[in-house]
Amino acid sequence: MGSGTVSTFQIWKLTFSTANVVSGLVVFILAFAVIFFTSRHVSMRPSKGQNFLEWLIDFTNGILKGSIPAKEVSGFGLWGFTLFLFLFLSNQLGLFFNVAINGSAIVRSPTSDPIVTLTMSMMTVVLANYAGLKKWGTKGYLASFIKPSPMFLASNLFEQVSSFLTLGLRIFGIIFSGEVLLEMVWSLAELKGIPTLIAAVPIEMAWQGLSVFLGSIQAYVFLTLSSVYIGRQLEGE
Amino acid sequence: MLSHLVIDATLYNGDSIFYVVTFLLLMWLVKIFAWGPITKMMQQRSDKISDDIDHAEKSRAEAADLADQRQEALQGSRVEAQQIVSTAKSDGQEQRGQIINKAEADAQALKAKAQDDIAQEREAALVGARNDVADLSIEIASKLIQRELNASDQKELIDSYIEGLGKPHES
Repeated sequence: MGSGTVSTFQIWKLTFSTANVVSGLVVFILAFAVIFFTSRHVSMRPSKGQNFLEWLIDFTNGILKGSIPAKEVSGFGLWGFTLFLFLFLSNQLGLFFNVAINGSAIVRSPTSDPIVTLTMSMMTVVLANYAGLKKWGTKGYLASFIKPSPMFLASNLFEQVSSFLTLGLRIFGIIFSGEVLLEMVWSLAELKGIPTLIAAVPIEMAWQGLSVFLGSIQAYVFLTLSSVYIGRQLEGE
Repeated sequence: MLSHLVIDATLYNGDSIFYVVTFLLLMWLVKIFAWGPITKMMQQRSDKISDDIDHAEKSRAEAADLADQRQEALQGSRVEAQQIVSTAKSDGQEQRGQIINKAEADAQALKAKAQDDIAQEREAALVGARNDVADLSIEIASKLIQRELNASDQKELIDSYIEGLGKPHES
């Protein structure tokens, strides 16, 4: 992306970016394929796919257990698992499939667009606040904003907003910059024909490797911070 | 560039809704196809493992119980065997005593019977001898006096004679 026009379309009064919708669908299909084909023959003695899935579930549950009180953690397992899977695939998608038609991107990492990552972080903040509201009741929930004293009301409100922004923009920044750099390396490769192409390929591959790593880390970080926000609401301190 | 992005972000308000819906749909599908069955199976497995551990402990306790019972039974059967042997011994001794007693009684009875028989036979022999002597003396007498005596008279005569013989010192 970076350069070129952005193709959009409108339904009712909502504007959609074609790239985001198509990429989102691709991630959705990939994620569904992963969980569908790894969970075909669920049995007491796990097959390869089931083993992988169980490992992934244990992994995301482990992240959640780090921050959410043990009694409440089971309610967030499905959410954490889906979030991690979705973000992980989103982060990796743009590294391998970067399709553009007429200069506008069609398939790329959905997480390289801030609207997507901010949507995700908004969901986290809403979920965290909802969990707090459900646990402490309206009164207790509202009281948590003036703790330890009413003086902290502004800072507590600001913290909610900053959580939402930092959570969403962190992952966006990493993924977006990764894709931009990939594109820059590619434009370098096209600069002077074959010699620059040969020079650029190793750089491109190295950066792709690093981006895979960064994308995985970011999915992990996003889930970790989300569970921290939820945990903080549930601890009510 | 940043302003361009922010403007973009405010532009695609539909994407936000699209991603929320997509994410919730994915979550639902994950629950149906993977999360539900897999976590259920994981729970079942952990239940089974703890069940198996409990079961193993129980069967080990049962085995120990059985071993104790067997030991007890073995002890019991040893005592019983000893009892049987001693009963058999005492029974045998009793029987031996009985047999000996019976044999003694039998021998006594046989002896008495034999003595009776002997006495009877001697009596019979004595009677026979008396008759023979009477016949003989008749023959002798007939030879001597050359005439036939009346047998009963003769017998009377002989009897008195023998009686006389029986107590020779009284006459």
